[in-house]
Amino acid sequence: MTTTAKTPDRIDAILRACRLMLRMNRARPDARKSEVLYYEMLIDYCTQLATARQQGRFVAAHTVFFPCEVLYAMDIVPMHTETTSWMTALFLGQYADLLAAGAEQGLSSEICSPHRGLAGALSIGALPRPDAVLWSNMVCDNTAKCGELLMKITGSPGFFLDRPFQRSDEEMKYFVEELRDMVAFLEAQSGLKMDWGKLSETVRHMDEQIELFREINRLREAVPSPFHPQGFLELVTVDYLFPGRPKATEYLQTLRDELATAVAEHRGAVPKERYRLMTLFMPPMYLIGFLEKLSREYGAVSATEPFFCNWGEGRLDPAKPLESVAQKSYMLPESHMFGPMSEKAIGEIVESARRYEVDGAIYYADVGCRHTCATIKLFKDALSEIDVPVLTVDCDVVDPTVTSEGEVREKLERFFELLDDRR
Amino acid sequence: MRAVGLDIGSLSTKAVVMGGDGILSSAVVLSSDSAESSAKAALQQAMAKASQDGEIYVVSTGAGGKSVSFSRQNKAITTCLARGIHYLLPEARTVIDMGAESITVVRINERGRVSDYGNQDKCAAGTGIFLQQMAKLLRLSMEEMAVVSTKAKARAEITGTCAVFAESEVISHIHRDPPTPVEDIVAGIYISMVHRIMSQLQRVGVKKEVAVTGGVAANRGLVSILEEEIGHTVLIPPTPELAGAIGAALIAKENMIQGAS
Repeated sequence: MTTTAKTPDRIDAILRACRLMLRMNRARPDARKSEVLYYEMLIDYCTQLATARQQGRFVAAHTVFFPCEVLYAMDIVPMHTETTSWMTALFLGQYADLLAAGAEQGLSSEICSPHRGLAGALSIGALPRPDAVLWSNMVCDNTAKCGELLMKITGSPGFFLDRPFQRSDEEMKYFVEELRDMVAFLEAQSGLKMDWGKLSETVRHMDEQIELFREINRLREAVPSPFHPQGFLELVTVDYLFPGRPKATEYLQTLRDELATAVAEHRGAVPKERYRLMTLFMPPMYLIGFLEKLSREYGAVSATEPFFCNWGEGRLDPAKPLESVAQKSYMLPESHMFGPMSEKAIGEIVESARRYEVDGAIYYADVGCRHTCATIKLFKDALSEIDVPVLTVDCDVVDPTVTSEGEVREKLERFFELLDDRR
Repeated sequence: MRAVGLDIGSLSTKAVVMGGDGILSSAVVLSSDSAESSAKAALQQAMAKASQDGEIYVVSTGAGGKSVSFSRQNKAITTCLARGIHYLLPEARTVIDMGAESITVVRINERGRVSDYGNQDKCAAGTGIFLQQMAKLLRLSMEEMAVVSTKAKARAEITGTCAVFAESEVISHIHRDPPTPVEDIVAGIYISMVHRIMSQLQRVGVKKEVAVTGGVAANRGLVSILEEEIGHTVLIPPTPELAGAIGAALIAKENMIQGAS
């Protein structure tokens, strides 16, 4: 079934919102240069998407954690479905019609809202119709199952990338073959050829970027925290949308230098740091502005987000580009939270709590995300052993009807009171 | 100056006046639409009982705690419950507060400070209001329900996850042929509430001794099923509904002392 667009897509509106943010940032005397670069990258991303059809370029819609570096190397325009749908919630405050359209596709409210939202977005034409749909099991079963529906909604051909949970030599070989099959599929569909030299260059940048992520993590150990309270979302977005892009390397280098200066000057990101927090899983997108404000009001910083910032060990080899793409997927910070939960992953969380000297942890339990909710007790118990209290906030990452700003404020204020009481 | 604790709940508002030697008086009034007027009514009653009319230092808590204009400080109910129960039952390390609209579990340390907490406020299932609705449906008073439950031979199956579904299940038990005995229905209602409480309790972790507070704590039938599930007896203070207000009054007293020094 091919669904024709019922409404104009929202990429132009997101683009306008990003341009406004950029102008506001440039006008601020204390604006971070890295933040300016960040919005410039978002503008580039949206511009590419907005003009792709006109320029006759091939657009591939892909789900979260999909190795879109391969697409860049083939000169294919990537459309990160979850992030682009989130951006409509974050920048435009529009989510209800996307979720309602998702419901019309038979996706009930118990299903993860990013998936409901992206199916809805594609069905009403809020996102441009892609030429191909790519999805994988690198995240969760929900993502593994969503591709067929997206193919049906868009009428586009699709490819499912099967990545084994574990990382033995045998499984790595299998995954590299899967990536090779995906390249062949994309070549057949788009008529474009893989530029292996460009992929090697992309891998070289990715390797440098991972090293920069690690450096940034080390700088963030400083007390007071040099990074702004919800800043990790920038880091996450950069890796989701721009892996291996030269501008992403420039952004990370700039951010690294800014943080190094702040640490040397003993300058914190909030006026008076009182609480150092660990963020587990994703806070609701529609509350990011509010959380940033609340963080400044209470002097609460997210000092570490192990599931989004702790990269696994290893280096990438530009001489073996496809193998490196496969290897990176196992090094992703997010890979610790998906698939079977290991003792090692729990140990790393505890280690992060110590390393970043956190006072408490906030566990954002997305009601539609089964694996997030299934691990609450494991993390809570492990952190309580080192006397780190955990606040569980039942929420939905996109849908504000589940948890209101007032409820979250109430819960966080109570938690801050608990932290004060323990001093 | 007297220390006053006010706990403005969604069903009732509690006031406690505290002097140098302990609690001087307390009052419980039904909450109205306005937290401010409920707080004033409870305060006036409590002050009258204590024959006090001088200067006061008020700390408020509860759902409407932030709306009381004459309160010097608003504190979280978890903090107040911890202080209150530590004062009433120093040996308690876990508090289960069964309020009208929520269930709160607080783990406290030996100093009466909160170690951890969890609360359920997304659904009326398992709360005092749910229990009231069920009593109305069965045409029993809360006290009668408690007595009836002790005669149960079985426990009717009633969902613990949704108050609306639970209500229709109770109706279907009543209209079944033959109808499910009322005592079994009551026991079924209690166990569904207890399962709801247990999931919060397990999230936070049970540490002995366990105290139960809130208006629902007075329901002996429910408490005995809760004890069965936990595996040991629980402690109930003499005035379980006042624990939060007592905690607020204790904080008011601490603030007064700190302010004076």
